[in-house]
Amino acid sequence: MMRTHIKSWDNLIFQAVVNGFLLTILIAITIPIWRVFMMSITPLSWKDNGTFGLWIPPWQWSFEAYRELFKHPAFAQATYNSAIITLGGTLISIVLTTALAYVLSNPKLPGRKAMMMFILVPFLFQAGLIPTYMVVQKLGLVNNLFAIMLPGAIGVTNTFVMKGFFEGLPEELEEAARLDGANDLQVLWHVILPLSKPILLTISLFYAVALWNEFFSPILYLNDNKLMPLPVLLRNILLAANINEYIESDAFSNAPIQAFKAASVFITMLPMVAIYPWIQRYFTKGTLLGGVKE
Amino acid sequence: MKEIIVRQAVPRNASRLVEMKQHISPVLKTMVKYRWLYLMAVPPLAYFVIFHYLPLWNAQIAFKNFKPLLGVWQSPWIGFQHFITFFKSFYFTQLISNTVIISMLKLVFGIPLAIVLALALYETSFKRFQVLVQTSAYLPHFLSWVIMLGVLLMMLSPADGLINAVIKSMGGKPIAFLTSPDWFRTVVVFSDIWKETGWATILYLAALMGIDTTLYEAAQVDGANRLQRIWHISLPGIMPVIVILTMLRLGHILNAGFNQIFVLYSLPVYSVGDIIDTWVYRSGILDFQLSLATAVGLFKGVIGLVLILVANRVAKKVAGSTLY
Amino acid sequence: MKERLKMKKVFSKLFLLAVCLTMVLSACAPKPTPTATATPAPVTQPPVVVPTATQPPAPTEIAPADIELWASGRVTEAAPPPDDWIAYTKIKDELKVNLKLVLLPSTQSDQDTKINAAAASNSLPDVFFVSRDTWFKLVGAGLIAKVDDLLPLMPVRTASHYSDPDRNRLVTVDGAMYGLPDPGAMPMTDGLVIRQDWLDKLGLKAPTTTDEFLTVAKAFTNDDPDGNGKKDTYGFCAFVDGSGLTAMGVGPRFDWIYGAFGVAGIFDLSSAANFGLNVRKDAYMQATQFIRTLNEEGVIDPDWPTLKKDEFRARWKQGSCGMMHENFAALSTQSNYKAFDENFPNGFWSVLVPPKGPNGDSADGTVILSARIYAISQRAIDAGKGPAIARLLEWMANDEGYYLLGFGEKGVNYNLDANGNITLDGLPDPAKAWTKAEMQPLTQLANMVYIFTPVELNARYPSYTAASGRQMDPLSYYTSFTKQPYTQATGSAIVNPPSNAADFTRFYSENIAKFVLGQEPLNADTWAAFITGLDGLGAKDLETNAKQTLMSAGFLE
Repeated sequence: MMRTHIKSWDNLIFQAVVNGFLLTILIAITIPIWRVFMMSITPLSWKDNGTFGLWIPPWQWSFEAYRELFKHPAFAQATYNSAIITLGGTLISIVLTTALAYVLSNPKLPGRKAMMMFILVPFLFQAGLIPTYMVVQKLGLVNNLFAIMLPGAIGVTNTFVMKGFFEGLPEELEEAARLDGANDLQVLWHVILPLSKPILLTISLFYAVALWNEFFSPILYLNDNKLMPLPVLLRNILLAANINEYIESDAFSNAPIQAFKAASVFITMLPMVAIYPWIQRYFTKGTLLGGVKE
Repeated sequence: MKEIIVRQAVPRNASRLVEMKQHISPVLKTMVKYRWLYLMAVPPLAYFVIFHYLPLWNAQIAFKNFKPLLGVWQSPWIGFQHFITFFKSFYFTQLISNTVIISMLKLVFGIPLAIVLALALYETSFKRFQVLVQTSAYLPHFLSWVIMLGVLLMMLSPADGLINAVIKSMGGKPIAFLTSPDWFRTVVVFSDIWKETGWATILYLAALMGIDTTLYEAAQVDGANRLQRIWHISLPGIMPVIVILTMLRLGHILNAGFNQIFVLYSLPVYSVGDIIDTWVYRSGILDFQLSLATAVGLFKGVIGLVLILVANRVAKKVAGSTLY
Repeated sequence: MKERLKMKKVFSKLFLLAVCLTMVLSACAPKPTPTATATPAPVTQPPVVVPTATQPPAPTEIAPADIELWASGRVTEAAPPPDDWIAYTKIKDELKVNLKLVLLPSTQSDQDTKINAAAASNSLPDVFFVSRDTWFKLVGAGLIAKVDDLLPLMPVRTASHYSDPDRNRLVTVDGAMYGLPDPGAMPMTDGLVIRQDWLDKLGLKAPTTTDEFLTVAKAFTNDDPDGNGKKDTYGFCAFVDGSGLTAMGVGPRFDWIYGAFGVAGIFDLSSAANFGLNVRKDAYMQATQFIRTLNEEGVIDPDWPTLKKDEFRARWKQGSCGMMHENFAALSTQSNYKAFDENFPNGFWSVLVPPKGPNGDSADGTVILSARIYAISQRAIDAGKGPAIARLLEWMANDEGYYLLGFGEKGVNYNLDANGNITLDGLPDPAKAWTKAEMQPLTQLANMVYIFTPVELNARYPSYTAASGRQMDPLSYYTSFTKQPYTQATGSAIVNPPSNAADFTRFYSENIAKFVLGQEPLNADTWAAFITGLDGLGAKDLETNAKQTLMSAGFLE
């Protein structure tokens, strides 16, 4: 609901403060982001013009960094791999997380507290990289995309947040459905989930972003270079400049290395940024049955 | 689960089914009633067993002198040796204090700011403006710290940084923010908040959206002004989310942000910026990054556990809402 | 309330259970073998687990083998060789080897983590490239095989790659070689260079002493040598390079200053009698004082402590540096020089003879022989893959493999001229020249075949004409560097880090940085306190152990 009427001085001052604050935030965010964008289009022959890199005349913009990254022979394959990991992993994660959160949100379920402790313990005591690798290796998942999607499938924070949301749904709806003879699965599917769109989409977004940006487990678990996702490719490109001592080769020399770094950031950022407004549509005030109550 | 098993006397002429039902304890009855839920819980719990508890089994190498050829179980036991190495290491106190200070500063400044931003976004009358600010605010989350170093150098370099240019124009001396022990932590906390607040706000805003608007209308009718409505309706409405996120963050209090510190720190600021994780990283080359890192991980877990236990008790009293 | 109580009870029960479990586990854990010590002692010589070597099969017939090779690609940002790479076919047909190639990630720490993870789960590949520190630990764990038996199976390769006794010493443990020490970085590739055009503009001569260096640096900083009216230049640029024991302090980019005071490098390796940490010497303190002066006078780019290598390079390409210590290829090859050339067509770097200190000493840096270590896992040898591995490596070293992996196909990617030099003349399709970006996947394994012959160097670093019209010859920089004085310090590469190496190196480097940046006063007392601190962290033990290692390896007399 949009409040379009400014009712009194009280409101006016309040709106001024609120919007002033938001404007400050906006400026504080935009300046550095703009700088990163400028970095990505800096031409090779660029000399500092005293604007702290915040202003490059548009006719000097050079999209070479983007061009070279897109032209990289492995770029398409890497993007494809990232897409599979992101979509597949998000699906797995959201299904498992929703199931667990729903189960834990039933206050009368025997063993509920034990289950919560059960998942909290490994949240606190994280075994670490190599113990996890040893398990994954024994499962035969090395060099398999599942090695990236599975070990982090359920996030404890996400589970607890979703559980909180489920707990906030009014009980009457659930009880009504049960009276009609629905079992738990049907209640979940027909009653709870349709009302939980905002939280489902939000948590899915969280998983998707994490999977899309994941570079470390692919480095660890994947051997076949054809399976490498985008972040690994970009990381190899960016960090190569730091180890190739005898850099006598030609690739990636048409733009400053900073431009490549910044361009790779924007390339990975764009799909995720594009998704969010689409999710945002579901965020409207007072979606009564999807929120947390007292 | 202290439910008492009740056995009821059943008249002989009752149906067999009723007999059976009344012999089964209430607990089992509930469990049968919820059988679908238990079924649903199996795959997620299996995930935890496979990918969290099995690795924890492997994590016993924290107490062993791990030899890959012998495997986890056969490797010789050395008890708390690795922990003692860690506790007695030269910089131990400094590492702990740096880690805790930086982590707590990020928490104390970051969470309120995210909440305030969420509230401001919720309360503004201009919908387009809200979407604009919200979308911009979470963009920094996608920047890697490697890029952020470049941005920070642009802003903070003593030679030609933006901020120092302003300082110089006002007649002051330039400050080497990134290499000065006095300023490094400020830079770390500030840049982290800058980067992550917008992203954290998403969740708080989603929670706010779920609050029943009729509550606000009712309160308005009762004469409450904006601030009062925020204090009495908005905040309590999202309190469960705040508690969950804060407590889980406390559980990881000894993770102060390895990726950020690793990129930003340098020799002159080790004394205020070196955290547990960067130390483990540097020490890691000596022993496969295994036993020592695992031992430190377990140590972190103990501290986190204690904190969560304490915080849960406090949260119950102060906020009326708990994690578990 | 009841809930809380319940929770507490559950928790205390769980805790009690955990404690009991721990005690039970510790009681029935497998007993340590009698030879193992209860506390891990600082390791200088690793406890070598002697692998049971299987005899290689008699060479009557060649059995096909699958070999998995983890290599560090020559161009880590480029793609791996295509599936239909002609080398794969040749290796399969001629050597009966199915080669599975995995290119390691770009950074050493990522590489080490990947290798460590495979090591921990005892699933190391057959042949893999590995850094020395990690290699050393893997040898101690018995996961890496001795290679002495394989060398006779690859005579050509051994003659061209493994006949440098110093390099062989780098991989020798207890008298046996545990890795193949392929030629590593060329020595003396980094040296001091100076902006000749700035010298000319200000009418100055290249500095020959440290005092003159300071004067010139001040002029470069204050007198607007690039003539653009802005004070945006610095006399000297550097960054904190390297890691590990040999790069302690402020790093190799400043080593020439220590060289000017006669104490380049971490250790004094002149003789067994003189052996010790250079940091104990007065000259070391004076050199540190000189760097401090550079900082105080503002002639060094103040961001230097936080810069990473690529940032540092971006700066000199932007024209803010007057003098620096840089790698010849990173400075002058066509792709690397391009940015600088476009910005400063009249800019030119000439080699700077390392300035002399008060006693007339000078050194452009240290020479630490390094090797690219290719290790063979014990698993591979146990599976009988030794001969197949030797076959593969030998093929890489003879002409067919050398040219194919190093430059591509003759007549397609490169040609040979009358003198046997690599040329690009006469190629039917110039786009397929081996230097082109698209052809880089074909030469990813070049690091396994290069041996730094003059032919190779001329091929890899050809002279060219820059966009500004200047004739550039990268190899001339390299040749000039090799003519400068350098301090021999190869031995320091085999000094094994102490168990508290992380803390020791931090203490050392952090304090030097503080002295240099003016965060700590630098005088005899504070320096003595610094040395005392080092001793408290085990400096004397480090010296004793290092001396022993070096003497038994023959690096010290």
